[in-house]
Amino acid sequence: MSQTMAAPDADSAGHAPPAAYRRAGAAMAAEWIKLRSLRSMLLTPLLGAVASIGLADVSVKNNAAGWAHLDAVQKARFDPLGLNFNFEVIGILLVGMLGALVATNEYGSGLIRTTLAATPQRGLVLVAKAVLAGLVSFALAVVIVFTAFYTGQGILSGAHAPHVSLGDHNVLAHLLGTVYYMTAAGLIGLFTGVLVRSAAGAITSMFGLLLVLPVLADKITPDAVTRHTVPYLPSNLGDEMLHHHQGLTPGPAVAGLAGWVLVLAAAAAFWLRGRDA
Amino acid sequence: MSARAGTVPRRGISLDSRLLATAHSEWIKFRSVRSGPFALSATALIVVVGAWLLGDANRGGYLAASPAGKAAFDPVFTVLQAIVLAQLFVGALGVITVTGEYTSGLIRGTFVATPQRAQVLAMKALVFAVVVWACCTAMSFAAFFLGQSALSLARHAGIGDPGVLTAVFGAGLYLTLVGLLGMFIGVLMRRTPAALAAIFGLLAVLPIVFFQIPGKITKNLREYLPDAGQQAYRLVHGGAYALGPWQGLGVEAAYVAVAAAAAFALILRTDA
Repeated sequence: MSQTMAAPDADSAGHAPPAAYRRAGAAMAAEWIKLRSLRSMLLTPLLGAVASIGLADVSVKNNAAGWAHLDAVQKARFDPLGLNFNFEVIGILLVGMLGALVATNEYGSGLIRTTLAATPQRGLVLVAKAVLAGLVSFALAVVIVFTAFYTGQGILSGAHAPHVSLGDHNVLAHLLGTVYYMTAAGLIGLFTGVLVRSAAGAITSMFGLLLVLPVLADKITPDAVTRHTVPYLPSNLGDEMLHHHQGLTPGPAVAGLAGWVLVLAAAAAFWLRGRDA
Repeated sequence: MSARAGTVPRRGISLDSRLLATAHSEWIKFRSVRSGPFALSATALIVVVGAWLLGDANRGGYLAASPAGKAAFDPVFTVLQAIVLAQLFVGALGVITVTGEYTSGLIRGTFVATPQRAQVLAMKALVFAVVVWACCTAMSFAAFFLGQSALSLARHAGIGDPGVLTAVFGAGLYLTLVGLLGMFIGVLMRRTPAALAAIFGLLAVLPIVFFQIPGKITKNLREYLPDAGQQAYRLVHGGAYALGPWQGLGVEAAYVAVAAAAAFALILRTDA
């Protein structure tokens, strides 16, 4: 009995509900069309690349030119990898902004109501968005991080200043950590966008969270409270991928960033399912 | 000839009554900006609660500091520096006040009702500036008193001390100028994300870029960036040129003036 009840042909309207994998495929296809027709899809990554690669190279070039004039202490402190990624935060911010716009643009135009009418499985919509935004962020991160690395270290080696190569101790781990941070920023942006819904709110949150809050927190004299909170800001967790100055090792930093993404994802899923669109 | 009002074409209304009506309609639009109360309360929360936290957190640091560190301690800037975060919300409020009107299409109705577009923009800026200035100055005073009481045992300033009143009023003026900059950039860009990225880029990203690139040029220009007005709430002024509070606000006002000139030129020439 239960077999006949469960059979898809039992649909009274005469057409079968789509299989789960087909529905997922269709949701992905729909999300992809919306993602690639996002107006900021071109300008935002371009600005990120200009900052994280172009500005970084200008900065590296200036530092490489000054290398010969440094004293022994400054030479000992010279950090070829850290120097190379001084502007990574701007690229990370812009990827986060792109993630936020994926969600808020749809709320702004009202398209979200059509999306949710077409695919009432709201969790599936969110998963499809997260997968695609995550993949796009990851691809951008790989291109930006490795281009910045090869051009920056190339400039340093050309100027006979200290430089590192991919095979050196921990270098690949640092680069992959930065790619991971940038991908996480895209997802943090997306889920913030789903929660906040307005472009203004989401973009302001991303700037505040990733760029301004760490600067402000840095100016507070360390005490018991800040020692246990400030290192867990997403920006400081991300910083651990390249530098080590807040006392966290990369392992907990990776886990901490994943924690931010998962908590925001859960909140976004909860609110998306529970709220009117 | 003018006796029978019904037959003659209606004459233009006088300038001051039109300005008054425009200001009134701009006030209705501004107070119904949906994120307006949120943006202003977020600003107040960050500035006032931030002042208390910063005062409290820096008290121990001051007492433990070296004599040189104590001499360089700026009790006013220390408690008001949360403005660096709060300015994002004021700038965003300026942006969405304008871009919201473009997004909803209301701007076309506005310009049909008042074809004197320059007057519309002037009144929009005036209403915005008055409200934001009043709110931000009030929160600056609240933050100052709360922060100084949190500093307590450390060196703290009284409102009558030299330069302090200027600094506390300066903080409110700086935030107002940031809001106006956001508003005029909103007119130039029309789209919320682009305008927000532009104003945040000017206020938060550009200083980082100039700080990271070594060299004489970046070092000398650092004080003339669009966050120059932050000198307004400092008692101790560093940097290559040591700009004072009014000079910093002057630089800030120059940026606003340039953005305003571009916004007025654009609004008079382009289709809405």
